[in-house]
Amino acid sequence: LSAPVFAFYFAHPIFSFAINDLENIIGLGVMIVVANVTSNFLERVHLQAEISKQRENRANTLYELSQALSDAHNQQEVARIAVSHIYDDFGAMSVLLFPDHEFHLHYPHEMPLEHSLRNINLKIAQQTYQQHRVIQASEPICSITYFPLERSQIIQGVLAIKLLAGSDLASPELITFFDTFLNLISQTLERLSLTELANNANLQAETESLRNALLSAISHDLRTPLTRIIGASTALVESNADFSAEAKLDFNRVILDEAQRMSELTSKILDMARLTAGEIIPHKEWNALEEIVGSALNRLEKNLGTRPIRTLLPDNLPLLWIDGVLVEQVLTNLIENAIKYTPAGSPIDISAELLVGKLAITVSDYGLGIPQGMEEKVFDKFYRLEPESHQGGVGLGLTLCRAIIEAHGGTIHVANQYGKGALFIINLPIHEPPNLNCLQGMAE
Amino acid sequence: MTDEIKPLILVIEDDPQTRRLLKTNLCNRGWRVIEAENGKSGLLLVKSDSPDLVILDLGLPDIDGISLTKRLRQLSDLPILILSARSQEQNKIMALDAGADDYLTKPFSTGELHARLQALLRRVMRTMNNMEIFQTGELTVELARRKVFVAGNEVHITPIEYRLLSILVRHAGLVVTHRQLLKEVWGGEHIHDQHYLRVYMGQLRHKLEINPARPRYLRTEVGVGYRLVDDEETNQCHF
Repeated sequence: LSAPVFAFYFAHPIFSFAINDLENIIGLGVMIVVANVTSNFLERVHLQAEISKQRENRANTLYELSQALSDAHNQQEVARIAVSHIYDDFGAMSVLLFPDHEFHLHYPHEMPLEHSLRNINLKIAQQTYQQHRVIQASEPICSITYFPLERSQIIQGVLAIKLLAGSDLASPELITFFDTFLNLISQTLERLSLTELANNANLQAETESLRNALLSAISHDLRTPLTRIIGASTALVESNADFSAEAKLDFNRVILDEAQRMSELTSKILDMARLTAGEIIPHKEWNALEEIVGSALNRLEKNLGTRPIRTLLPDNLPLLWIDGVLVEQVLTNLIENAIKYTPAGSPIDISAELLVGKLAITVSDYGLGIPQGMEEKVFDKFYRLEPESHQGGVGLGLTLCRAIIEAHGGTIHVANQYGKGALFIINLPIHEPPNLNCLQGMAE
Repeated sequence: MTDEIKPLILVIEDDPQTRRLLKTNLCNRGWRVIEAENGKSGLLLVKSDSPDLVILDLGLPDIDGISLTKRLRQLSDLPILILSARSQEQNKIMALDAGADDYLTKPFSTGELHARLQALLRRVMRTMNNMEIFQTGELTVELARRKVFVAGNEVHITPIEYRLLSILVRHAGLVVTHRQLLKEVWGGEHIHDQHYLRVYMGQLRHKLEINPARPRYLRTEVGVGYRLVDDEETNQCHF
């Protein structure tokens, strides 16, 4: 552009494009050359900038991918993240396939993801998996490439990707980029499979110790009531009515009491087993603490007898986002313990207090309290303060309580109160209560 | 209850020992009992013998309790009492929502069984007699005038509270599930909005109960629903 401008303004005749002077012609020539060189140079700088921008983008992409993947908890999530990133960054449909226990590859989702590739050739995928190599299958319309997701010689799965026309991974840079991409995915899968292995090992150890403790619990705590039941009932059956009506009633009472104790024990053991096996998942709903306390007290009506129960629940407590059945079980266990381990007729207090972001529920009694230093121990599985006491129990009640409260994101602990007995404190998180504004109008 | 014709109870239960125990117990109370060991023969007996009440075990080998409840409901309006194990919590609620009237969790005492059966038979009597005044303990509900009294003093309750209370009165002594209450008061699209119930039942408790944290009339069955305690039951539970 500068050359014609020069000709027009500066070279004689001014205001014309004609150039007369040789000098000016040379000048113009130099100018054209300089302009060309600079524009070439600029272009190269632009290109460089473009490339580094692309690189930056890719680095960002990889960063985002690794961020997303680090939050993934299972294969499904990895698949979802990978597929959506591949679509966003390469504009390609893809799918991740994972092997089952018999090393057969399967789609990870029942429902296809948004940008998930369907109708791939599972046979070729299987080949990729078994032979540890990339296979490109050219179909009439498009080509699908199968990449093994490999880490430390172990293939975690296969990624099948359909490249659209013109977006092939031709440039070496893009290939490196894609490799890194795959590497990240493989790494995440490896991490997941290692975590799973570790968890399994832990679970196995846990199950083993639970099984042992269960066996000993059954041998003692279930046998004792059984012995009494068998004793009483054989007396009744074999006596041919030799006993007085009063004695018979006594025997029957023994049978009833012991059977009830056994029933209680078995449900606790089963609950614990289910909780340990991860079978009990809190089914959370909006619940009123008042109702749960009321229901627990109602359930224990017979055991409570005339014992004074003092409930101190403030009005207008917020609703709690909890599993009502499980939390009721916690309260029932705590009240039951208070009944068992404190003198008959001594009061039990149940109260609640709203704190910042949480609700503190306390159950306190007027017994002897928990021996110092044992405040944490009582929550251990199968731990009992007096193992041979006549009070039936397997030492699971408090363990269950803690497991349930922790499954709600809360805490439970015990303290001794001066001049009073034990004080159990449960803290449960408070959630934003649901809106009730539109209620009144609707129902009336 | 009329003495001339003793109620006929159908027990559908696959375990022979439990069946035997139930039969001995019920006959001892003067009730007549017929038995079925599976759902299919139970359905046939309902058609042929038209019993007054069905005791239905949830764990039958041939038909699951929920579909059996539905089929029984299609046949008749007879009261259904569900027997469930602790592990069948969810099925129990589904059976109640499908039309069963109440439940007992195994193991249960004879006393509990009789209380439930009485309450169920009373419900039938009430619907036949078109009850006008309901009374339990110190609580009186005048259904015709829509008025509520506690110890002789009128209590002012809002229309929604009254609707909840009247449903519970209609099922006095029996459990009413969350779903039933939500559906009847707020309509079918609100069956999952349990917090509505919590709030209004709370208000009702505070108006009718001396200690709402240890209610005498409006009992909560956590995870299932609510039960309005019936007079005779109140006497049985030592108050």
